Amino acid sequence: MSATRRLQKELLKLQEHLPPGISLVQADNFETWLMDIKVLDDNPLYRGDTYRLKFHFSSSYPIEAPEVTFITSPTTPKIPMHPHVYSNGIICLDLLDRQGWSPVHNVESVCMSLQSMLTGNEKNERPPGDADFVKSNRRRPRDISFYFHDEKV
Amino acid sequence: MKVTIKHWRAVAAWRWDMPEDDVCGICRNPYDSTCSKCKFPGDECPLLMGDCNHSFHMHCIFHWIKQEASQERCPMCRQVWKAKGSDARDAES
Repeated sequence: MSATRRLQKELLKLQEHLPPGISLVQADNFETWLMDIKVLDDNPLYRGDTYRLKFHFSSSYPIEAPEVTFITSPTTPKIPMHPHVYSNGIICLDLLDRQGWSPVHNVESVCMSLQSMLTGNEKNERPPGDADFVKSNRRRPRDISFYFHDEKV
Repeated sequence: MKVTIKHWRAVAAWRWDMPEDDVCGICRNPYDSTCSKCKFPGDECPLLMGDCNHSFHMHCIFHWIKQEASQERCPMCRQVWKAKGSDARDAES
């Protein structure tokens, strides 16, 4: 209920104004939204690509962090290459982690953080152990305690 | 011309003494409105300011502080949350 009210407000604002490179793809309910993001500078790793994000909100949002993953679709066939993004779309970002989330964040601020996380990246790499993680992981992103390999990326 | 007042009604407006147009960072409702769970604004759904000078609806900040993940920190600045003036009151009593 409180999640719905807060998301309604966010949706109205997003429909009115979106930051550059961020677009709202789908928000027909208050459980799952799809957003597209583009990297605006000329970073050769992401030039010309659009990436799709899936947001999943629990009824305790924004007290609880949304679950945010990259997904592929016919118009967004790639998962961005980044040392904190697994090839199955799971993102390791402190902001989305249980310990790093704050209820003053919102869909827009998460999109902008991910956009800037990509903008600043120069490594054409997956996280260490990507192949094994992607093969064996059955947990939901929120239940994974990421070990932050590198605080600098 | 002489006017005789037969009836009058007083109408009062109130608002919290806060910067105008500001919203609670947690529920995004205006300070003068309620948290997401209350129906009527005012004393039943008050605001709470922290030592860090960040304000929220009391119900919103309590809901957050109750979470283990909050580590009892302010959602804005991540300083340990302490309601403003709570020390002074403790000292008096």
